[in-house]
Amino acid sequence: MRVLLVEDATGLGEAVQEQISEDGHAVDWVQSLGFAETSVRTTTYDLVLLDLMLPDGHGIDFLRKLRQAGNATPVIILTARDQVSDRIDGLNAGADDYLVKPFDLTELSARIAAVARRYRGNPNPVVCVGDLNVNLGDHKVLRNGHSVELTAREWALLEAFIQHPGMLLSRSQLEDRLYEFGAEIESNTIEVYISRLRKKLGKDLIVTVRGMGYRLKTYES
Amino acid sequence: MKARRSLQKTLSIGLTVGVTLLWLMGVTASGLVAQHEMNEVFDSALEETAQRILPLAVTDILSRESGAGQKRAPAMEDHEEYLTYLVRDASGQILLQSHDTDISVFGARPKKGFFDTATHRIYGASAVSDTLFIEVAEPLAHRREAAFEAGLALLLPLLFLIPVSLIGVWWAVRFSLRRVVVFRESLESRGSGDLSSVSVEQLPTEFEPIAASINRLLERLRRALESERSFTANSAHELRTPLATALAKVQRLKTELSEETSLQKACEIEDSLRDLARLSQKLLELAKAEGGGVLSEKAQDLVPILQTIIGDYERLEPGRIDIQVPDTQVNSLLNQDAFAILVRNLVENALKHGDTGAPVRVRLSADGTLSVANRGDIIAPDELALLRNRFVRSKTDALGSGLGLAIVEAIVEGAGVQLALHSPAQGQLDGFEAELNIVINR
Repeated sequence: MRVLLVEDATGLGEAVQEQISEDGHAVDWVQSLGFAETSVRTTTYDLVLLDLMLPDGHGIDFLRKLRQAGNATPVIILTARDQVSDRIDGLNAGADDYLVKPFDLTELSARIAAVARRYRGNPNPVVCVGDLNVNLGDHKVLRNGHSVELTAREWALLEAFIQHPGMLLSRSQLEDRLYEFGAEIESNTIEVYISRLRKKLGKDLIVTVRGMGYRLKTYES
Repeated sequence: MKARRSLQKTLSIGLTVGVTLLWLMGVTASGLVAQHEMNEVFDSALEETAQRILPLAVTDILSRESGAGQKRAPAMEDHEEYLTYLVRDASGQILLQSHDTDISVFGARPKKGFFDTATHRIYGASAVSDTLFIEVAEPLAHRREAAFEAGLALLLPLLFLIPVSLIGVWWAVRFSLRRVVVFRESLESRGSGDLSSVSVEQLPTEFEPIAASINRLLERLRRALESERSFTANSAHELRTPLATALAKVQRLKTELSEETSLQKACEIEDSLRDLARLSQKLLELAKAEGGGVLSEKAQDLVPILQTIIGDYERLEPGRIDIQVPDTQVNSLLNQDAFAILVRNLVENALKHGDTGAPVRVRLSADGTLSVANRGDIIAPDELALLRNRFVRSKTDALGSGLGLAIVEAIVEGAGVQLALHSPAQGQLDGFEAELNIVINR
C-alpha cells in the first residue's frame, strides 16, 4: 500500500516509517500539514497516518478538509491526546481508527491491516485466490497448503492486486504503491516482481494486458 | 486554651448583665435621692408639728395652772400615733404628752433642734424664754419602711425587665449576626472542590476584611492547585511523544538484534518504557479527575462510551470481559472523558487483580448502576478501606501504579456520588466488586 505518514516528531516518524516499510508498504513521510496537503493532491494513497498536534495546525482540520473534498482514503489518527472526547471528535471528523501514543509498532501494523481490510469491505483477513490462501493479517501465503515465502515488495504487489480484485492496474499505479517519493525505480522493476510472483504463486495468477497493465485473474473470498 | 464561646451568647449575657448593673446603680442613686428628699419632707413635717403644737401646749399648760388642763392629751379617736410629743420644763418635769408617748424614747433633759436616738428622730423647740420645751418624736422604722417601699417600687420592674432585655439583646445580636451565620453556613456547605470566591456583600463591615482575606486565600489556593494540576497534565501529555519515540525506537532495535543478551536488554528497556507510559497515563488521568470539570453542562448517553472503552479491552484481551448494558439510554451529567477514565481504571483493576481464568463482569443497569466485578481472593475489610488511598495496592504481584482507585475516587468525589467496594463481590463467594451509580442530574 502507499501510505502517507504525517508526524512531526523526527524519531517517531523514522521508526514508524521503518516499521511500515518493513510490512511492505511504500511510505511518504511529511512533517507538516502543508506538505501533507500537497502530497494528497499529487498522489493517491491507500492510507494516511495522521498526527494531530502539528507545527502548522491541527490534524483534525486537515482530516475535515480531506473528507469535504470527497477523499475517502482511510485515516488512522496517531495522537498524544487520549480522552474519549478527542477520540469521538476524531472519528466524527472522518477518521477510521485512533491510536494513542505511546503505541506498539506491532499494534500499528495490525491496525493498518485491519483498516485496509475494512476499507475493502471485507473484514475477513483470509482471502482465497485460486489455489492460494492469503492471510492479510499476518502476511502469510499458503499455496495448496504449503507456505510460500514472499519478500516485502512481492507481498506489497500481491496485496495491491488482492485489494483491487479484477481491476486493471497500470505499471505506474503499481510503482506508486511500491515506492515512496524519491525512490530510485528501475524501468523494468514491476516486470521483475510480477515474474517473481508468477514463479512462486503460479504463472496464470496475474494476467498481462498488453500496453495497459496487469490484473489479478481470479478472486474469491 | 480557653474554651471557645459563641459570640451571640457572650454578647447576650454580657449586655444583659451590663444593663442590669446599670439599672441597679440607677435605682440605688434614685433611692438615695428619694430618701434624702423624703427625710427633708418628714423633718419639715416634724418641725411644723412641733411649732404648731407648742403654742397650744403653752396655752393648755398655762390654763392648767388655772385648773382646766390635762397632763395627757386625750385621743380624739383610738389610733396609732406616728408622731408622739412630750412637753417638759427645763428640768425635765413632764408637763404634757400625747396619749401614746413612750417616755423612754426621750432623753432625761429636753434638747432643741433635730437629733436621732436609736429608734426615733426627734425635734425639740422651746417657748416662754426656754422654760417650756416640746419634743416631737417620729419612729425611724416608719421612715425606713417608706424608703424600703420606695426602693422596692423602683426595683420591681427589674424582675420583668431583665428577661425582656435578655430576649431583646439576644434577638438584636442574632439579627445583627444573621449575615455572618449565612456566611458561615455558605462556607460550611461548600464541596471539597469548590474554590470560588465567597460573597462579601451584605456582610457587616467588621467581617468584610475576613471575607476578603478568605477570598485572597482561596484565590491563591486555586492558582496553586491549578498550576499543580496543569503541570501534572502538561508534563504527562508532553511525555507521550518522546515516550512513543523511545518505545518505537526500541521496538525497531529489537528487530535488528539477533544476540540473545542484547535482545533481552532491549526487552527490559521496552518494559520500563511501558511502565513509564502507564504512569504518565495515570498522572494525566489523576490530573483530569482532580481538576474538577467531571460534570458536563448537558446530560449525555454514557452507554456508547462504555461500549467503546470495553471494545478497546476486548481487542487487547478477547473474551475476558462479560458486559451487559441496557437497551435504553443512560443519560448523565457525568463528563464522558471522566466516565471513560473511571471505567478504564475499574476494568484495568479487575483485569489486573482478578483471576485470569474468569471473565470480568461489567454490568450497567437502566437506572445507571454500574458494577465491575472480578473473581479472585477476598480482600479483608480494613484493606478494602485502604485501597482508596493513593499509591496503595492490594497484595498482588500484578503491575500497577496504585493510582487506579484513587483516580476513580477523585472522580466520584468530584461528581458527588458514592463508590461502594465489595469483597466478596455481590452474588459471588469470592472476588472484588466496585459499584456506583453514574446517573447524575441537576
